[in-house]
Amino acid sequence: MELKSRRKRFNIYPYLLLAPALIIMLSVVIVPIFNAFNMSFMNYNLTRPNKMGYNNFGNYVKMLNDSDFTGALWRTVVWVVFGVGGQFLFGFMLALILNKYFRGRGVARAVSLIPWVTPGVLIALMWSWMFDGNYGVINDLLMKLHLIDDKIAYLARKDTAMPSVIITIIWQGIPFFALMILAGLQGIPGDLYEAAAIDGATGIQKLFYVTIPSLRNTIFVTTMLRVIWVANSVDVIFNMTNGGPANSTQTLAVYVYKKASSLDMGYASAMAIALMLVLLVAAIPYLKSTFAEKGA
Amino acid sequence: MKKLFAMFLALAMALTMMSFASADDVTINFWYWADNDAYSQTMQEMIADFNATNGKGITVVGQEYPWDGGGYSQNLLTAALGGGAPDVSTFKLTATPSFTNNNLLANLDDLIANWEDKDQINENLYTTMKKASGTDSIYVMPWNTQVLYVYYRPSMFAEAGVSVPTTYEEFLDICAKLTRDTDGDGKTDVYGFGMRGSNGGQEPWGCFLYAGGGDFEHMDSEGAIKGMQDYIDLYKNGYAPETAPNDGFSQVIDNFKSGLTAMTIHHIGSSAQMMELFGDDVDAFIFPQGVGRWTSMGDTETVMFDSCQNKEAAFEWMAYLATGKGQETWCTVTGNVPVAARVQALPQFQENRFMKVSIEGSPVAGILPVLDTTTQWIADWPATIQKALLGETTAEECMKTLQAAMWEE
Amino acid sequence: MSRKYKIPKATQESTASRVFLLWIPLILFLVFLLFPFYWTFVTSIKSDAELHSLTVSYWPAQPTFQAYEHLFGQFNFLHPMKNSLIVALITTIVSLTVSTLAAYSFSRFCFAGRKPLMVLFLTNNMFPNVLLLIPLFTIMRQIKLLYTPWALVLSYTTFTIPFSVWLMNGYLNDIPMALEEAAMIDGANRAKAFIKVILPVLLPCLLATGVYIFMQSWNEYTFAVLFTNEKNRTIPVALKMLVGQLGVQWDLITAGGIITVIPVCIMFFFAQKRLVAGLTAGAVKG
Repeated sequence: MELKSRRKRFNIYPYLLLAPALIIMLSVVIVPIFNAFNMSFMNYNLTRPNKMGYNNFGNYVKMLNDSDFTGALWRTVVWVVFGVGGQFLFGFMLALILNKYFRGRGVARAVSLIPWVTPGVLIALMWSWMFDGNYGVINDLLMKLHLIDDKIAYLARKDTAMPSVIITIIWQGIPFFALMILAGLQGIPGDLYEAAAIDGATGIQKLFYVTIPSLRNTIFVTTMLRVIWVANSVDVIFNMTNGGPANSTQTLAVYVYKKASSLDMGYASAMAIALMLVLLVAAIPYLKSTFAEKGA
Repeated sequence: MKKLFAMFLALAMALTMMSFASADDVTINFWYWADNDAYSQTMQEMIADFNATNGKGITVVGQEYPWDGGGYSQNLLTAALGGGAPDVSTFKLTATPSFTNNNLLANLDDLIANWEDKDQINENLYTTMKKASGTDSIYVMPWNTQVLYVYYRPSMFAEAGVSVPTTYEEFLDICAKLTRDTDGDGKTDVYGFGMRGSNGGQEPWGCFLYAGGGDFEHMDSEGAIKGMQDYIDLYKNGYAPETAPNDGFSQVIDNFKSGLTAMTIHHIGSSAQMMELFGDDVDAFIFPQGVGRWTSMGDTETVMFDSCQNKEAAFEWMAYLATGKGQETWCTVTGNVPVAARVQALPQFQENRFMKVSIEGSPVAGILPVLDTTTQWIADWPATIQKALLGETTAEECMKTLQAAMWEE
Repeated sequence: MSRKYKIPKATQESTASRVFLLWIPLILFLVFLLFPFYWTFVTSIKSDAELHSLTVSYWPAQPTFQAYEHLFGQFNFLHPMKNSLIVALITTIVSLTVSTLAAYSFSRFCFAGRKPLMVLFLTNNMFPNVLLLIPLFTIMRQIKLLYTPWALVLSYTTFTIPFSVWLMNGYLNDIPMALEEAAMIDGANRAKAFIKVILPVLLPCLLATGVYIFMQSWNEYTFAVLFTNEKNRTIPVALKMLVGQLGVQWDLITAGGIITVIPVCIMFFFAQKRLVAGLTAGAVKG
């Protein structure tokens, strides 16, 4: 194998290829990120600049005793598992459908992107308008279908607020998975399916023995990236429920955002770093598999 | 196109000014938010008017930023801390400590002392501005105020056979009476009170705090807890819509406009749309007397940044807004209460029924204590109240949390 | 080595399986995905009174297109649209180019520091923007990019590049190395092998990643509000201006949403049509 033998001696080529991406990225964020790390060890509340100073991991200690933090951590897990899980499942199904041949496929592919193209500012507004307990179209539809008798105040109840925001994020993210998986599907060599067909494989078998294994990396990477993205996303929750009612939709990212908005940068940074560590731990299996693949 | 043109014009003017800069020609960078695009239009016209008429070679360049549910103040702070503050900006009083503690604002004492129009503004307002900064100096310039009062629908009062309450007990009583099932299907169709349980709800809620017998200094007192309990009971008894915990400003107003609620608390800013919709079938009263009486004074001010190079020129613009032509134009369009005595006396303000109620409420109107904990307290208010409304905590626990968040280090 | 990259031909499916595996699920998906869009549109043409009526109407009694008129007239919505387009296009081109190079490096070479660098790229995306704002603002001001489209391009690339590098790396790993090895044995150098062999197969993935980058920069608000002024405001900021202290201007904001969505969908429609045509052509040749 010509390619692999190259790793024995030093090669400048890979570094040259990496350089532009690395330089652009790091030149901008390295100072801000270092700054945030630094703040996480300090009392750093912008409303009290005269009381700033290092506090012996005070933010981290506070975090462990903060029931809002542990609650938010747990809700982040629920939010990510159901949010990304739903996006992936439905996105995959949609990709399989859009990969078939049918009249109007091009149009169907284009319009399926709509949720993702919709400005984030509008998504939360529109969905809270549809979930509205008094004028919402969702209540109206469900009542017309006789599924419910009374209007439900979805966003004002602790038991329905989280499912509501999760449905919204699923809606928003389906096109992402559909698009990414569809792109991967188009790269699967046709003869793999032909070979499977000759072996007498059914549609389901083809899915599990050809499609999914061929997309392994794509699926891993897209879910991992999506988990990171969804875990960090605030605009849907913030604009639909503001983390409420009674914190029942307050994920860690929302908590960080709210703390930063009320200018307690030190505590916000510490929590952001905690979130980063949690995400890194969650990413370990993905990283392992990606690295193992290369035999490196 | 008009906007674009105006911008180019401003830009062209700015460039011309720069190239022929004499000692007097200065540019003032001004940031503002507008609550809708009609207000935005008005502001641009005012800027153009000021630039054309000031006669001192001052050019104001306006930059509009979104209000963003209060995100405006954070964006302004971020820019100022990053060294890119404008010269003048519109402002909310509650944001004062984070700006003054970082020494970002210009001290206006001398400029105001030498200002011919300084007596146009009531001494009380200056005092409020001083209090907000926690010093004896003025850093924040009054611009306009809004007093919170109770909007109600006279027709609904007539149907329910109630009249404008004169005491707090009566108020609670009519909340119940106004809650009705109008079509006989066993479900409530009209709620007595439109409650704001989400962002910004602390202002109307303050009326209950004081009426129950508490105040912001003693939010864990017996009276305060009673006020909170009344608030919870309104929700629990179904006299407010079930959506109340997540209702912010726009929901509360929408509910009133659609006829879902018979009363709600807001200020004169929404009176124009109310009158357009209901004509005479909408009126207002000041939240009635209980053990105590308080209502919230909403406010918008302007500030000058310390980094401003031409403080006198910047002050000309602030003065134009506070007592000059800008004051009249802005308050006429927005319906806000003017701060300048001369403008208050104009007939269009004297004859407006909502303006009358606003002025009547002024003596009992106040602001939240402006401390370095206030920003955080306001941010935490919804979650704390929602827990009580949804039965997770008691009124007493809720009030103790609020008291500690405001006053304990 | 002669794998053919051709698109699987339509297989002979029974009508029943066509209905149950294609049409019914497709329609269900489209209803779910498109209903909110429909609702946005209906909202944009409803009068204020009808919007806040307690009976929900699925089509306005008196549709009004005033909001659109106003949006293009006085509100001058084309201006932020143009700005968003400029920022999104530049960001897409820059990120896509440098990320493809980087991803190729990660995917095809083993070198010292590869793993830590990949993790570095990943962690960069795990940090919330809101904590980076103040120093970023200072940097942008000092390098004099503040209030130019470049400030946005530069800050957007910081989160689109790492994401795209990982995505492209995933796609590249799914493409067998044997492909380019064969070409290189035939005498092509690495760059040529990449362009001739990998790039055509990678095109759909490039498009998908490109769309991703485009959307991220098209929709970003937090940086956009601080790093732009009236000259170069982008769509999300312009839309956010319509939510003031006195409520939401529903007609304008929904009309703005509709106008934002349509051109992007049309662009994607033609891009992917082109692409499918290109792919088929390549398959025939190869």
